Amino acid sequence: MQTPIRIDPIQALADIATFQRKLAAGMGHLREMREPEYANTPRELVYSEDKLKVWHFTGHGKTTSKTPLLIVYALVNTVWMTDLQADRSMVRNLLEQGEDVYLIDWGYPDGADRWLTLDDYINGYLDRCVDVVRQRHDLDAINLLGICQGGAFSLCYTALHPDKVKNLITMVTPVDFHTPDNMLSHWCRRMDVDLFVDTMGNIPAGLMNYVYLTLKPLRLNQQKYIGMVDILDNPAELENFLRMERWIFDSPDQAGEAFRQFIKDFYQDNKLVKGTLQIGGRTVDLGMITQPVLNIFAEQDHLVPPDASRALGKHVGTTDYTQLAFKGGHIGIYVSGRAQREVPPAIHQWLRQRA
Amino acid sequence: MADPANDFIRDYQTLAQQSWDAWTRQFQQPPAANPFAPPAAPAAGNDALERTLAGLKGYFDWMQAAASGGAAQPATDWRQQLQQMFGGAGQPFAQAFGGIDSVGAEGFARQWQSWLQAARPGGFADLAGTQGPTPAFGLNREQQMQQQALATALMASMQATARYQELIQRANTQGMQRLQGKLAEPGRQVDSLKGLYDLWVDAAEEAYAEIALSDEFREAYGEMVNAQMRVRKLQQQQTEQLCQQLGVPTRSEVSSLGERLQALRREFRASQAGASSDHADEIMALRREVAALKRQLASASGAASVPKKVATEKTPKVARKPAAASKSGASPRQRK
Repeated sequence: MQTPIRIDPIQALADIATFQRKLAAGMGHLREMREPEYANTPRELVYSEDKLKVWHFTGHGKTTSKTPLLIVYALVNTVWMTDLQADRSMVRNLLEQGEDVYLIDWGYPDGADRWLTLDDYINGYLDRCVDVVRQRHDLDAINLLGICQGGAFSLCYTALHPDKVKNLITMVTPVDFHTPDNMLSHWCRRMDVDLFVDTMGNIPAGLMNYVYLTLKPLRLNQQKYIGMVDILDNPAELENFLRMERWIFDSPDQAGEAFRQFIKDFYQDNKLVKGTLQIGGRTVDLGMITQPVLNIFAEQDHLVPPDASRALGKHVGTTDYTQLAFKGGHIGIYVSGRAQREVPPAIHQWLRQRA
Repeated sequence: MADPANDFIRDYQTLAQQSWDAWTRQFQQPPAANPFAPPAAPAAGNDALERTLAGLKGYFDWMQAAASGGAAQPATDWRQQLQQMFGGAGQPFAQAFGGIDSVGAEGFARQWQSWLQAARPGGFADLAGTQGPTPAFGLNREQQMQQQALATALMASMQATARYQELIQRANTQGMQRLQGKLAEPGRQVDSLKGLYDLWVDAAEEAYAEIALSDEFREAYGEMVNAQMRVRKLQQQQTEQLCQQLGVPTRSEVSSLGERLQALRREFRASQAGASSDHADEIMALRREVAALKRQLASASGAASVPKKVATEKTPKVARKPAAASKSGASPRQRK
């Protein structure tokens, strides 16, 4: 009988020995590794409020853009994915293209932030950050780049404050939360979110990370570490791996009220595309977004399925809508070699045509 | 009669296991001196290492088991061989889930376990209410009722978790079936443990994704989370009562203060925005008036007969409608 498994037992034992030898030798390197730093592209603090900070990046090439670009990141994970390391930094690439880049760092919420709502985040914090950048440049409107949940915030903001946004870019942004392949949405559909938030208060980052790991439990909890064994003897690659680990697990808790509203209104009730979402007592109508929109999504995104992002085209009011599909995943769109070559130049080119 | 080849494999595995145990001990936590201490958490800054080890241990165990259980046996039936390689104690699927349960969700599962341990060191089988609700009487009636509610919630939570685990196990079983399907594809051949493992991961993740997107999983997942929250809420209720008796501020009290404070901040912001908007309107009106006066003055110095007409037409008009342009919030440029 023909067998598809032809593993030589002696070879199998040799593989185990090799694995163990690599691991034993590599663990020495691992213990000697310092906490990897992010890229730390030079920046200045231009505004802070509570735990929030607005950074202005400096020192990389000549700024040619007349309109500054404000990056609005998600509340989950930290903003440093956009500036992870020198050769994998979206921020640095945008600067080199000539963009003038600002970034909102939401910080780490604690018990004092338990009652922050989406209204506080969008019509409060975000609006004040936009005003700060507008005032610094003496402009009526600036460019916004929203990432993931920050993209959803940017859409809401632009719909509610259209005069303050010149061009809008969304990256891996969920818009239709009820596409059939959206696992996160599927899982939280039967959750009693009120009970959840009333009980937990702020949502611990560890719990959020646990949920993300269970989206692909074997790949994320085991297979990737087995792959790491092969790079244990390569300090540079090991440092990159550990930097990514740091970013993945160094994540903020979620302010309870904002989490409650985001899960209920976006994930459970899909109000953003239904046109029934209310932020601060005002209805968010995506049709109010008439400025140019560039929507970038990742074709292999397991957190925000491509169709969840593609839906934006059907709902915005603009006649200048551009869609860019990136061959990669939710994280690769910022840090892969392909992303460095493709994404920032595409953003810059698109903005330049609409300067 | 002893089989020298198998003896060699066994000896080698024992040696490999011993050396694994030796170096992983370097990273393990010392036992807690306090018997009431919560389960050991990873040391600060060592979390990545803990996660790494948990994942790698599963793979290592599986390689060991697979090498002896399947790869070392003559291939009479490859499906049976596969079962031997993936069915033992070193089952990597369970290891992968075990890893995230113990480390990733420490803020959640660990706290719950430690609370249970502290609250009921001898377990909770004797807890009133585990066999169904019973009437409560007397001075401690309320406490008895709460204990019963907690016991009922605990039982419900365990049932919900068991239902979830059943689906996880189903994903595992279906993953194996998918792996067999992949191996049965024409021309497919696997010649290393790593190659087999990677193929199994593909198959198991596909099976898991299918189940995780099913309606059944959605219900089970929601119920598991809700049931755990009900337990946690009842725990908090009891803890708060104890804190009140001891004169310790409770989480609810602190939370209420936070809620009121945030409401005040919102009101303050709104009133500030209102005042600032009023000021902006006023400044805009004054600027227009000044501009009109300047024009008036300039005209007066140029030609004595014309200015009256300009002044009567323009100045009052601006003064009467000062806010129209700036009511919606003046832009920074306008404010400057």
